[in-house]
Amino acid sequence: MRSSKSKSRLSWSQTTFTKKLLFFLSSSLPSSSLRSFLSSLSFFNLSGRTRTLSFVSDCHLLLFTMGESWFQREFLAPRRLAFNVIFYGIHFGLFAYGWYSQQSNPKLAGLNTLGFSVWISRGAGLVLAFDGAMILVPMLRNIIRVVRPKLTWLFPADENIWFHRQVAYSMAFWAMVHTTAHYVNFINVERTQIRKQSALQIHYTQPGGITGHFMLLIMFAMYTTAHHKIRKQCFEAFWYTHHLAFFFMIGLYTHATGCFVRDTVDPDLRPFFPFYSTEHCLGYLSWRFTIWPGIIYFGERVYREYRARRATRLSKVLVHPSGAMELRIVKPSFKYTAGQWLFIQVPEISRWQWHPFTITSAPEDPYVSVHIRQVGDFTRGLGERLGVGPSVVAAMTQAAMKGSEKDQKTGGRGDFVELDFGSTATPLPAVRIDGPYGAPAEDVFNVEVAVLIGAGIGVTPFASILKHIWYRQKRGNLGTLRRVEFFWVCRDAPSFGWFQSLLQEVEAAQADPNFLRINIYLTQKIGEDMLWNIAVNDAGAEYDPLTLLRSRTMFGRPDWMTIYGQMRQAVESGQYIPGSKSQLKTKVGTYFCGPGVLAKAIKEATVQNSSSTVEFSFAKEHF
Amino acid sequence: MGNLVWHEYSRLTAITASIYGVWAAFFGLFYRKFFWDFVGGTLRDPGGFHAAIFISIIVKVPVVQILTMLLGMFIIALEFPLPQLKSLAIHRSIVLRIVLLLFQTFLTILFYQGTNAAIWSFMAAICYTRAQLLGETMAEAKGNRGKAGDA
Repeated sequence: MRSSKSKSRLSWSQTTFTKKLLFFLSSSLPSSSLRSFLSSLSFFNLSGRTRTLSFVSDCHLLLFTMGESWFQREFLAPRRLAFNVIFYGIHFGLFAYGWYSQQSNPKLAGLNTLGFSVWISRGAGLVLAFDGAMILVPMLRNIIRVVRPKLTWLFPADENIWFHRQVAYSMAFWAMVHTTAHYVNFINVERTQIRKQSALQIHYTQPGGITGHFMLLIMFAMYTTAHHKIRKQCFEAFWYTHHLAFFFMIGLYTHATGCFVRDTVDPDLRPFFPFYSTEHCLGYLSWRFTIWPGIIYFGERVYREYRARRATRLSKVLVHPSGAMELRIVKPSFKYTAGQWLFIQVPEISRWQWHPFTITSAPEDPYVSVHIRQVGDFTRGLGERLGVGPSVVAAMTQAAMKGSEKDQKTGGRGDFVELDFGSTATPLPAVRIDGPYGAPAEDVFNVEVAVLIGAGIGVTPFASILKHIWYRQKRGNLGTLRRVEFFWVCRDAPSFGWFQSLLQEVEAAQADPNFLRINIYLTQKIGEDMLWNIAVNDAGAEYDPLTLLRSRTMFGRPDWMTIYGQMRQAVESGQYIPGSKSQLKTKVGTYFCGPGVLAKAIKEATVQNSSSTVEFSFAKEHF
Repeated sequence: MGNLVWHEYSRLTAITASIYGVWAAFFGLFYRKFFWDFVGGTLRDPGGFHAAIFISIIVKVPVVQILTMLLGMFIIALEFPLPQLKSLAIHRSIVLRIVLLLFQTFLTILFYQGTNAAIWSFMAAICYTRAQLLGETMAEAKGNRGKAGDA
């Protein structure tokens, strides 16, 4: 019943060409060529929530690189070696200082009778204070976005989640050391009775013990739900559990308020802030330092909330035949560059959840668009709310596909349908967006040749980038960019649906056949049926049967060494870029988004093939 | 709650709880203390041994700690899993895991270091129970298929 009601709400601007033109005229776009380009997006359905998430994480993880030993990875790569030396150097330095300052303090002679365990617990405590401050630093997303362009030479700011995890691992280890040492401390206090207390009294009636056990419990919940498997299965479990961090931080800042480290018999507590005397409570007072990242983070969350509440209007919803919904959002205060992503919230569906999506519009567009596939509970809920639940989309897709079969000459696979909310009682839902996040992709215009490689879902940011390049090409504002090589490595045929039309239009719009080259690699094993299907349809056809592009799909994994080798030869012999002088160094920038295994292979190819005349650079996850 | 596969989540909690349990029991070998000694007056200043069953199996001879370590190691071996256990059908039993985790809860709650391990083991057991109630089954170990996502 729900779906039939929803169907009546749709206005079908169907697949005929005239109607398509009418739609574009009504959608007030700046130029006719632009219109034809944008119509390309009809197929171009990106980023269901889970997919985008996996993209975000794929692009930040190079940790599980296979095929090399742990030693090679951690110590033979100069950047990683530097990180290890500095990061763990600071940790051991703090541990040593914490140990020493406890052991050498004559005021704490009483506690020092406990021996090693108290020195270890104090050292580890200082390290944990440092970790507790650092854990929030990589989460200051807005500050990172601002400082990143200035600091890319110093540290890979895109690796903020990776760094967050390194701190978390370190925190787990030192928490184990600290807790173990305290278990020994407290049982020895009970046995020696240097204070008239039992071990369990310290554990469960004093602030240090209570907050400590509580923080361990929160860590248990947060660490287990943060596993990549769980995050992908159920983002909510991870998202909500991770907000226990608020209580964790409260626990961290108040951990020492019980005045365990003191030179008096009883804790010297006071009735006013900070509720103990600094004269006799001789902890590190580390909360004075560690609280700042917490305050800044809290401020950032408040700012994000304010920013998200600024005027935002969902202006259009388009449904594409492949089932993706395109949300076009107008928010004048939202400024972004190609290749960035945002968080979106639909309060009607979920009051608290923010979902990340890659921006698919170019900054030149008068709106911000995201493409959403109905794959998770949130995205399905959104589809239902808009009146295009999965069943409706399936029906529409079928209708559109049928239309396209008759219409095969134009090379399309059906057109999108705009949902008309003007004539119905239900208006479009309110949406809020927060962002943008991620690095801008302006670097593309500082090289002569840009090699854009997207693997699997990692292709999403290239939508915006290709569009942006297209706009700048129209304006004749390409910087030094002379050629673009676009590679898309993907596993199975159905995923071609997303990009197909975009690429098709970009390909068709090229006046210079050499400016953009599209290379698609299909890595899936191909069954016999499919093989014959391809063989029958491919021979002599103008368009590739799978992608409907002029460029042919290639099967199997790309051999990067050969590809880069050939590119180098072509550049060196002057064939690749017409008019390039051999005495000038040609800069070829590679921009990659996808899994780490592939990143490594490509990076090796760029390093090996760099010569005196051709400079290959490599940027992973630069978007 | 999304598409959370409860037994896969429970596995992570069980591993965490068991590692904590083994580590706690290891320290329990050296610093022996009956957790519940504040009940019934066995805890005294200046302390000392008292004739009670738990005192003799925790403080005099660390039986509970040794059992906890063995049980914890077995759970870890079952969860990771050890190649030898992988081929057995029992490796895919959720009920066995619930039982083992409840045993672990019982053992770890007895001695001083094991409190958190007991709470976490109990939580892991609850998660597995939820998986069992939802009728989840654990998949047979995959053969020699390639890893998903490798392009």
